[in-house]
Amino acid sequence: MFEIGPAGECGIRLVFSGEPHEALTSKLLSIQHSARQRFGTELIDSVVGYTTLTLFFEPHNIERDRATAWLQESAGADTDEAFLAQLAARPVVVLPVWYHPSVAPDLEWLAEENALSVDTVIDLHSDPTYFAYATGFAPGFCYLGTTSPKLAVPRLATPRSEVSAGSVALADQQTAVYPGPSPGGWRLIGSCPLRLFNLKASPPALLTIGDSVRFEPVSESEFRALGGSV
Amino acid sequence: MTVLHINRAGAASTVQDSGRIGTLQLGLPPSGAMDHPALVSGQHLLGHTQDEAAIEMAYANTEVTPGSSCLIAVTGAPVSLWVDGAPACDTEVLKIGAGQRVSIKARSHGVYSYLHVSGGIATPAVFDSRSTSVREGIGGLAGTYLRDGDQLPIGSANSDVIASIASLPLPESAPTLMLRFVPGFQYELLTEQAMSSLLESEFKVTSRANRMGVALSGDPVNTGVTSLLSEATCYGAIQLPGDGNPIVLLNDRQTVGGYPKPGAVIRSDCRRLAQARPGQRVRFAPCTPQEADRIAWLEQHYLETRLR
Repeated sequence: MFEIGPAGECGIRLVFSGEPHEALTSKLLSIQHSARQRFGTELIDSVVGYTTLTLFFEPHNIERDRATAWLQESAGADTDEAFLAQLAARPVVVLPVWYHPSVAPDLEWLAEENALSVDTVIDLHSDPTYFAYATGFAPGFCYLGTTSPKLAVPRLATPRSEVSAGSVALADQQTAVYPGPSPGGWRLIGSCPLRLFNLKASPPALLTIGDSVRFEPVSESEFRALGGSV
Repeated sequence: MTVLHINRAGAASTVQDSGRIGTLQLGLPPSGAMDHPALVSGQHLLGHTQDEAAIEMAYANTEVTPGSSCLIAVTGAPVSLWVDGAPACDTEVLKIGAGQRVSIKARSHGVYSYLHVSGGIATPAVFDSRSTSVREGIGGLAGTYLRDGDQLPIGSANSDVIASIASLPLPESAPTLMLRFVPGFQYELLTEQAMSSLLESEFKVTSRANRMGVALSGDPVNTGVTSLLSEATCYGAIQLPGDGNPIVLLNDRQTVGGYPKPGAVIRSDCRRLAQARPGQRVRFAPCTPQEADRIAWLEQHYLETRLR
């Protein structure tokens, strides 16, 4: 089930009903990919959200009926197999994490709160391969899911005014790495020494929607050797 | 390369051009001039293409000195202008000699004024734009507001200046500014009460107004919708946070958000809202995308006629 409607005067928004899931994200990415080919420079930008795809067209040059009809047809069709194969072929991104209270103010608290040992928290967080559902909040920030229900925690009632770059965080059943220093309300359980967003790199963001991501526990010396600092 | 010395930057001056395109999925907002037609008219006055950047000044209180002679024009919110202390006409292209001091001060209405210098501000482009995005720390000179003592590189000037004609004036201010919006997003989820607050009451521009957006206050629009899955915002999106006071998202907005949005204000009214000072009364009125197209077309036509 889906609906199509305006997103301002230059945008068209496709939204699917129901909960987000990997196959839906893949489908939205596939339609985004086809839209770029179909509309070329008329399409000035596009954003995939959890259950949405929003297309932004060049002002004065938007042919709403044509674009809506195309989107209607694409949303109703099966996801392009070749695109799915490309997604599946993307290598798993492995993020090293030093899980230690000196870089993770909520690690011990979370273990106690959820009646787990710190080692179990680390195992539960680093075992699964996560899926990147959405980007946003800040450049390089990627919402990863779904974490073990045993790790589920509410956000902080009052967000911290500054979370350091690389902080590995949990909220509800999502996990993420803060790309730069920023305010943040998620619970911090580790630190990743890699740069999540670097304008000089191509592409600038280490993670993108549709990626598979795994966390790998590292020691303090490995963390430092990879460029991490406390 | 010639430089422009920033003797006094003013409170919130940044380098801006037309902004970035294609960076939303990365989480980078488009940025760019808050009053785009004012930017374009200045570019036109100096014979620039649409790529040249200008200095955007919020409530201008700025003094600059060019390192070599150049032409300048100021557009957008009206200003008072002095060259070496002598009053000068603020609506004409002026020739400024090397070492002369140009002082610019905001007058009583509007917010954003643009200082254009022949050759354009030539700071490095990031994602094909020189626009400053302060939150992301990119663009401009150092990804931030201009500071006293900064020296901005100036591009090489194009000699064929169009004319020393008056710049495009700001649209006249009205007692109540109409914000026409295209309904969409969570419009259908609004309760009858929320709908009547949004459509029938008057709001005021608050002092929480900046390049990210303009917060309004008035009869709260309580949606009852608590959490939504993050999705794309857009230029002009009317965001309704928990307290029910609408925020209209503008150039430096967050690219995604989870607050309910009943629609998005059309571009020409976003420009007027950006130029509105705190206390300005506003109302919302729905319009169709086709009406929005027509208004945009008429404004474009008006701008082109004025600049011909």
